[in-house]
Amino acid sequence: MGEQAAISTLWHLLRADAEGWRLSLRGDWCLDRLAAIDAAIPKLPIPRDAIVRLEAGELKALDSAGAMLLVRRLWQAGVAWSNVRRDDLPARHRHLLDLVEQRFEEAVLAARPQPNMLARLGRAAADGLREIHSRLRFLGHAAASLAEVVIKPSHIRPRELFVQLEQVGLRALIIVTLMNFLIGVVIAYLTGIQIQKFGANIFIVDGVSLGVCRELAPVLVAVLVAGRSGSAFTAQIGAMKVADEIAAIITLGLSAFQVLVLPRLIAIILVMPLLTFIGDLAGLYGGMLIADLQLDISHAAFIERLQAVLKLKTVLIGLGKAPFFAAAIGLIACHNGLRVSRDSRSVGLATTATVVQSIVAVIVIDAFFAVLLSELDL
Amino acid sequence: MSEPIIEAQGIRTRLGGAWVHDGVSFRVGRGELVALIGGSGTGKTVLLNELIGLIRPTGGVVRLFGTDVWQASLETLNALRCRYGVLFQDGALFSSLTVADNVAAPMREHLALPPALQSQLVEFRLAMAGLPLSAVDKKPAELSGGMRKRAALARALALEPELLFLDEPTSGLDPIAARAFDQVVRTLCDSLGLTVFMNTHDLDTLWGIVDRVIVLSDGRVIADGPVAEVARVAEPWIQSYFAAHVPHRGG
Repeated sequence: MGEQAAISTLWHLLRADAEGWRLSLRGDWCLDRLAAIDAAIPKLPIPRDAIVRLEAGELKALDSAGAMLLVRRLWQAGVAWSNVRRDDLPARHRHLLDLVEQRFEEAVLAARPQPNMLARLGRAAADGLREIHSRLRFLGHAAASLAEVVIKPSHIRPRELFVQLEQVGLRALIIVTLMNFLIGVVIAYLTGIQIQKFGANIFIVDGVSLGVCRELAPVLVAVLVAGRSGSAFTAQIGAMKVADEIAAIITLGLSAFQVLVLPRLIAIILVMPLLTFIGDLAGLYGGMLIADLQLDISHAAFIERLQAVLKLKTVLIGLGKAPFFAAAIGLIACHNGLRVSRDSRSVGLATTATVVQSIVAVIVIDAFFAVLLSELDL
Repeated sequence: MSEPIIEAQGIRTRLGGAWVHDGVSFRVGRGELVALIGGSGTGKTVLLNELIGLIRPTGGVVRLFGTDVWQASLETLNALRCRYGVLFQDGALFSSLTVADNVAAPMREHLALPPALQSQLVEFRLAMAGLPLSAVDKKPAELSGGMRKRAALARALALEPELLFLDEPTSGLDPIAARAFDQVVRTLCDSLGLTVFMNTHDLDTLWGIVDRVIVLSDGRVIADGPVAEVARVAEPWIQSYFAAHVPHRGG
């Protein structure tokens, strides 16, 4: 033929002759050279229905990645595999190429669908709705179970409840006391610096008592409990879900809700006001110490002023918010725990989600109370 | 036998105050498909982990491709690790990555391929392992057990290994999926010239695709040879093991 010049690179030699086309392979057609070969041979200029004869020529090695590239280039040129003559290749290369060609066809023919923007938007919306639905269902389930317990207190499982009371309440005491004490110290110290300038030292009592009892202690305790017990609820229930323990509880004829969710929910709602009360005391004590050290207000004077300015109402508002925080944390934590899927990774994700969501919920509820109470002039 | 691919010499392992292996020796040549069998608790998985350099044996030598695994420097060992692939029992796919990214992970680490070529190679590896491409963008948790094994096989094959370790490749699969998986392994072994070393309990795998069986019992190799030969060895454990199943093929 002659009019067609032979094309050659480091990796191949392509020439046309009377019988058709000859493709001689050279060098290492291997995975480590794949990028180089891919760049060196962007395409094979072979007409669609040509007969191609493959030759090993100076081929040193051929692996499945190299074979894939060869098959892909021939496929891109439009050469049918039945037109590719492989008789001149060593048997092992022939077998490899045949397997690769067969698998390659499967890979190319089964083109995978790419989801478009609209489909993704729709999926996200559906996921969002499903999420809301799931939360509402859980809330309803929890409310119904709590109501049932009020009617039939025998449905409370005392053993589980007391375990949770200990976990959520007793074991949180030290950290709650310590943190609130420190916050009392910090508030008193910083307020004290300002107050000293005006000589209004005694007003430190008003500031610390109101701040700690009404806002700081309830929110701080809620944040601590969310991080400590909320995450634990999700992790415990989630781990049980992964290990099919929840399925086992149900097949034993028990209600997973009664065994796992209710004890935790009741425990956290009962314990949170108590922890908040301890937090109040610790915060006030911290403030009292600083008032003595920094502003020379004796403990007796502090307590006398406290009785005058701290109304019972303020303390009750602070304590009254605690069960709402607790319910939010408990519901979010148990719900996330039950929604853990089969793999262990989702336990970690759900636990993180619980902490973030419950802290956000606590602050939102607190803001809601602030607005509500000021509207009610309380 | 030419230069052996795997060579274990007098491996001794002490775990929890007991000798799990007490002088285990065998060799595996290029292109062989070898199965290691033994009762539960005979340390098959421990032995496999010692071969791939995860657990250090108390005594003895492990050579892969002629290199002593436990004398090699970290560099040599890592170069060696690119030459073999491992399929762990439950796949050990990275749960935060999609199937495609799982297969691409070793390529990203060790090869600098242009993105288009890499994704072609990933899809091709998945097709080689027999995974439908509809599964490519899924997370491992969304796959069935059989699909997970195939995805993990595709990852083990990512770097074109010469040697493949399989830990209980067919456990947890239904018989149909298990036989299909066996065929994939056999085909790869024949066409790519792979050497395969597997732990298994599956008698159908033994009779169906395996060239040679190594039997581990009481910390030693008690039989080593083709399946039909090993099945005739007059040893109580081997006899009861093979009696548990009537071979429908070659037996």
